[in-house]
Amino acid sequence: MNIFLSLLLFASFTLANAQQFMTRSGQVHFFSETPMENIEAENAQMSGLLDASNGGFAFQVQMRAFHFEKALMEEHFNENYVESEKHPKATFQGAIKDWDNTWNDGDPHDVVATGSFDFHGVKQDRDIAGTLTWNGKAWEIETRFPVALEDHEIEVPAVVKDNIAPVIDVDVKATLDPR
Amino acid sequence: MKMGSLITRTVALGLVLAAAGTMPAQGLLDALNEAVEDPTLPVTATFKDTRIVNVQSNETPAEGVLHFVIAHRFGTLNSGAYELWGLDNAQMRMAFDYGITDRWAVGVARNTYQKTYEANVKARLLRQSTGPNAFPVSVTWYSVAMANGLKAPTDVTPYYFTHRLSYVNQAVIARKMNENLSLALVPSFVHRNYVQTSEEAHDLWLVGVGGRYKLTSRFSINGEYHHYLTQQFEEGFSPSLSLGVDIETGGHVFQLHVTNARGMFERSFLAEPAGSWGDGSVYFGFNLSRVFTVKG
Repeated sequence: MNIFLSLLLFASFTLANAQQFMTRSGQVHFFSETPMENIEAENAQMSGLLDASNGGFAFQVQMRAFHFEKALMEEHFNENYVESEKHPKATFQGAIKDWDNTWNDGDPHDVVATGSFDFHGVKQDRDIAGTLTWNGKAWEIETRFPVALEDHEIEVPAVVKDNIAPVIDVDVKATLDPR
Repeated sequence: MKMGSLITRTVALGLVLAAAGTMPAQGLLDALNEAVEDPTLPVTATFKDTRIVNVQSNETPAEGVLHFVIAHRFGTLNSGAYELWGLDNAQMRMAFDYGITDRWAVGVARNTYQKTYEANVKARLLRQSTGPNAFPVSVTWYSVAMANGLKAPTDVTPYYFTHRLSYVNQAVIARKMNENLSLALVPSFVHRNYVQTSEEAHDLWLVGVGGRYKLTSRFSINGEYHHYLTQQFEEGFSPSLSLGVDIETGGHVFQLHVTNARGMFERSFLAEPAGSWGDGSVYFGFNLSRVFTVKG
């Protein structure tokens, strides 16, 4: 009985680990569009973890790893807006709603991740819609969601109000391999 | 006894399964943090501009960026109301610096003061960084050649073109201490091909300190001081001391300051500052910079 229990315990842990999927090279792209100026940035170092036993889901991204077309934009982004020295990362932690073990059929599934989005040190509970596809080896995740600067206490001074959109579109694309 | 043991085991099993089921979701972000090492990232924006006040900071224009600076130094503050405390008497410097790469920049400039031309090269040798391969300081090299463009003096014969030249080499060792405070240590070597009197040294060694403290994300106070290591220093000159502020507005950086250096090129503000804080013969001035992205 004791051996059986230990085996079960061991199995349950290894199983949980085997069902974790991970990326270190997820892509994040954001876009601000105004009549005055378009601003976009790329980051290919998003890391993410998906627990395929229950849909548990977390990602994080380093603010300083965002790259802009213009060096000055990158400096202003880090120094004046997201204050990356104070808040080096943006994170999301939550779960994919109504997780279904039969989603690994190769078809894209519309899913909603619900959880806490922490950006600029301000947490917001968010439902983020996206697609989830099992490609035979890994989970592919794709989403686009809006981020309102006001919700995360990012102040835009009056002089550049016309250059920066109040709501930024964020695209995320990642392939999570078995851990 | 046996029954109790079974219940205990069942409860334990239930707990284990529950833990296995919920554990990954609870600490997923922590697990991610543990699994992913933070990348090594360079520290950026140690200073807002390529100069602290007069002296170079560790910053260079990014690749393909033209950095254009218009700077003025007005007359001495103690010159009185008739000269509007110096505002009637401005010296100008116009400079173009270009980033060949993110690490190399070249520049040219022209100063009203002594009609001086400048050609310079600036290189980021080392960059402060954070992460697993962190490095504590940034080191930037700056070399400038200056040519005095005034009419040849009649009392110096012969007077060759080489008489007009002087050179400065310096290393800017900078560290962003935290979000607000950045400090720099700047050893400088000045060589003047021609000096006015035999008492003056052709070669001067100085060590400067500079820094900025950000009061808001777009406003900082700046200062710099250069200490002479060489004793043979022309009488009447006091060491270069400058205090000012940086104001950032979108693509511009305004630097407003008060300094005892009349000229804005290295020979002048390091070796021949002209004014003195002691008697109020200091100069109000500004640097106004604008960047143009020339090449994507």
